[in-house]
Amino acid sequence: MDYSNLRRQAASLKKGLFDQGHLDEQFRQVEDLQDEASPNFVEEVVVVFFKDSGRLISNLEQALEKYPRDFNRWDAYMQQLKGSCSSIGASRMKNECMSFRDNCGQRSVEGCMGSLQKLKREHAILRQKLESYFQVTLEAPPCQSWCHDRWIISINLLTDVCMFTMQLLRQVGPAGAATRPAM
Amino acid sequence: MASSLKALLVEDTAVDRMVLSFMLRKFHCEVILAKNGKEDVDMFLEGNKFDIVVCDKDMPIMTGPEAIKKIRAMGATDVKIVGVSADDNAMEAFMSAGADDFVPKPMRLEVLGPMIQEVINMKNN
Repeated sequence: MDYSNLRRQAASLKKGLFDQGHLDEQFRQVEDLQDEASPNFVEEVVVVFFKDSGRLISNLEQALEKYPRDFNRWDAYMQQLKGSCSSIGASRMKNECMSFRDNCGQRSVEGCMGSLQKLKREHAILRQKLESYFQVTLEAPPCQSWCHDRWIISINLLTDVCMFTMQLLRQVGPAGAATRPAM
Repeated sequence: MASSLKALLVEDTAVDRMVLSFMLRKFHCEVILAKNGKEDVDMFLEGNKFDIVVCDKDMPIMTGPEAIKKIRAMGATDVKIVGVSADDNAMEAFMSAGADDFVPKPMRLEVLGPMIQEVINMKNN
């Protein structure tokens, strides 16, 4: 298994998420919380985030239908979602939350609907990209373990080569020296 | 940074609960969770003591500022209370309720760290 290639792929996927503005610095804060005691913390937080955000978006869609022009109610849902997006660094989603809230402030139903559609799109894109990223990181073990394994393999190979060389020298022995031509 | 602080985290959103509780544990705090302002107040009514309370603003049943007012009215004046919110206008509500600090979400380790250290220093003195 080419772990170095997988690790490069994971790094590239992550860089893309930051470069394209899907994630911001807060995601790195969440990564900093991950340690040996909680090795899957980031993925667990992301799973909870998508579960919660999916529910909030669904509740908001129902509220848009059930409570027309109730901008205060709509705003309250979106404020909660904005908070979650901020906490994990979901930057583009957060921006759409803010846009929705601005439209609530301007009492624009059309604006709110438009922002919600964009938010749902960003939600789906981020989910797909993060799923791909975590899939690759699952296949590429952490650097410490694969680096350690690589060293072990190298040491074992070196030992085997030394043993083989010594055996060969024993077989050749003094006879090898006698066949050298005289200078 | 070594700490034996007892922290109460009052937060209704699951994601924020996870992230904030891990941040507090990163600073070696013992973390107790409450999901809304009423649970927050109940913790104090049950006689629990905390060194620091990190409290969200908008929660079901009872908001953060409402809970903070009640906690201060109970005589819990020593405990450091930090309000956190994604609402940029939340500072006024928290500070007038009796919070010591307000931090806009998202909370960051480099912001939380000095707050924890301040509580440790006060406790040691």
